[in-house]
Amino acid sequence: MTTDIAGLPTNLREGLRRAALDVPHRGIAIFDGRGRSCDRRSYGELYRLACDSAARFAGLGIGRDEPVLVALPTSWEWMEAWFGLLLRGAWPVASSGAGAMAAAEAQFEKVDKVMAAIGARHVVASDAFQAQAAAQGFGFAREGVVTCERLHAAAPAAGDGALGHSDGGDVAFLQLTSGSTGVPRAVMITHQGAIHNPVASDEAIGAPFGEPMHRLTESMVSWLPLYHDMGLIGCLMLPLLCGLDTWLLRPETFLARPRLWLEHLGSHGGSFAPAPNFGYQLCVERISADKREGLDLSLWRAALTGAEMVRPETTGAFSAAFEPHGFRPEAFRPCYGLAEGTLAVTFDVEGSGVRTRPAPRGTDAGFAMTEVVSTGVPIRDTRVRIAAPDGGGLPEGEIGEVCIKGPGVFRGYYGAPEATAAVLRDGWFATGDLGFLEGGELYLTGRTKDLLIVHGHNIMPDEIERIADSVTGGGGLMRSAAFSVARGAAGEQAVVVVEIADHDPGRLAEIGHEIRVRIGRAMGLPVADLLFVRRGRIPRTTSGKMQRGELRQRYLDGTLERLHVHDPAGRAPAQEPSR
Amino acid sequence: MSITETALAVIARVSKVDIAEIRPDMDLVADLGFDSAKALELLVELEEAIGIEISDEQAAGLNSVGDILAVAETMQPPTQPPRI
Repeated sequence: MTTDIAGLPTNLREGLRRAALDVPHRGIAIFDGRGRSCDRRSYGELYRLACDSAARFAGLGIGRDEPVLVALPTSWEWMEAWFGLLLRGAWPVASSGAGAMAAAEAQFEKVDKVMAAIGARHVVASDAFQAQAAAQGFGFAREGVVTCERLHAAAPAAGDGALGHSDGGDVAFLQLTSGSTGVPRAVMITHQGAIHNPVASDEAIGAPFGEPMHRLTESMVSWLPLYHDMGLIGCLMLPLLCGLDTWLLRPETFLARPRLWLEHLGSHGGSFAPAPNFGYQLCVERISADKREGLDLSLWRAALTGAEMVRPETTGAFSAAFEPHGFRPEAFRPCYGLAEGTLAVTFDVEGSGVRTRPAPRGTDAGFAMTEVVSTGVPIRDTRVRIAAPDGGGLPEGEIGEVCIKGPGVFRGYYGAPEATAAVLRDGWFATGDLGFLEGGELYLTGRTKDLLIVHGHNIMPDEIERIADSVTGGGGLMRSAAFSVARGAAGEQAVVVVEIADHDPGRLAEIGHEIRVRIGRAMGLPVADLLFVRRGRIPRTTSGKMQRGELRQRYLDGTLERLHVHDPAGRAPAQEPSR
Repeated sequence: MSITETALAVIARVSKVDIAEIRPDMDLVADLGFDSAKALELLVELEEAIGIEISDEQAAGLNSVGDILAVAETMQPPTQPPRI
């Protein structure tokens, strides 16, 4: 690998073993669903647990380089499964629950599709998951579910052969990210990427203080989901490889009671905690002034913010609300990353808080930003270039596609060579994000790719459109299109445009309601605005490809003619995004 | 206030929709604009206002205002104060 960082472990197993030996008193504490009591175990215990379960996975016949899904909540069962598979030399694939609002069935469907797409035979999940999936007739539930009970009952394979040896360049695990076919894509992450990226991030985060973050601090407190790159790499690999104590809350615990995150940060000396913008926004909105009493955020040195657009109005409001409780605005550290880069690409290394410039001409109007935020400079061994549509490089100050190269860049999408070839050339990954460089620092201004990022989660529009089409029977001549527009500090929200032949206002209200219900059930996603238009109003290229960007522009300009909708049932319309 | 009235008041407060406009057939996501964060906020607020504990299995089946009211009504508050 092209890095001059000395003494990196050769693979993740070695990284875990070193944590067990070098910081034997440190480890991971995982809170229960209520977020009050936790089960804390050392890295040594994690290593032994993982070795044991690796042998049991081998006993179950799971082989090297075999993808296996892990559909468990943040828990020690998750650790046992994910690290056990990793040490076995198989490829763990952390998979989400479908979200609190979405039906369990939607989760089973997703697991089913992913397993088929990547050829996985097994998913590690709970008893309840297995029983429900079986009751609903999902094929994988017959043989494919490894419950924790089944894992514990499996005879461990004898000898050291159960532990696979991996080289740095080998694939370590697959990271799921939204795919345009309605099935998530599996990003291949190598051992070297999964090691280099967090270690280089640790160095960049500590830059304002003169040394890597882990020498200055002891613990991290996180609620980010482990099936998300920021949760897995930023909040699990980083503390493990750098020897920090880690405190993990379930994401749903944070969403239910955001104060717990800040409370645990204070009481466990957390000086290091990341979140997407919406997490900070949620704290501002949900922790009222009287509930801020008793919080102590004075040790918080690095409040990383990334995974979606950083909004100065959010960081400003958060600072104002929590400064009286010890929070320092300069602790905010914007960063930029994505799954295909393992995680981090750039970090703000100045440590003077959120720095902005006026949004230049060409900034996407749909993001409703008057200022753009510096996400800092590339981490070590990593390069960023801004490309014109013809692929040529652009000088500083000019907006183009952000392209990255470095040890963290992914190996490709598993089983999808064409999709890989479209974005990965000569080691350069074309991210689909738009931005410019100024003084070597990256500013994001929009996206070339059709993608919604809601609460830090990537959603391909196709996923939403398929559901809308299933209601209208569209998808052929009549189409539907989804995109996002930002609504101030609330961030991106979904807008769905549906072409339709029927113009009866009452009937349209019914159809619109059904589309919202189905999207809600399947994805837990509210539609901020749903509008019907006449057939042919969604712009297409001459070859028939939908032009979502152009459609979105017309929506923002107010030049899209909506069909009149009248709801005789008088249902409350969901709020429209303000523009 | 009855349990139903309390539950409706909580739904109105969390959704920021006038209580007079809220009806049992309304869908939480489609009609009231809930996302997962709001849904979890609603569960916590309900648990605290009524003094019940809603299990994950029950929570997974809650889609409409009517579903919420049904769960709230059938669940007896525990004799011990709820864990908060």
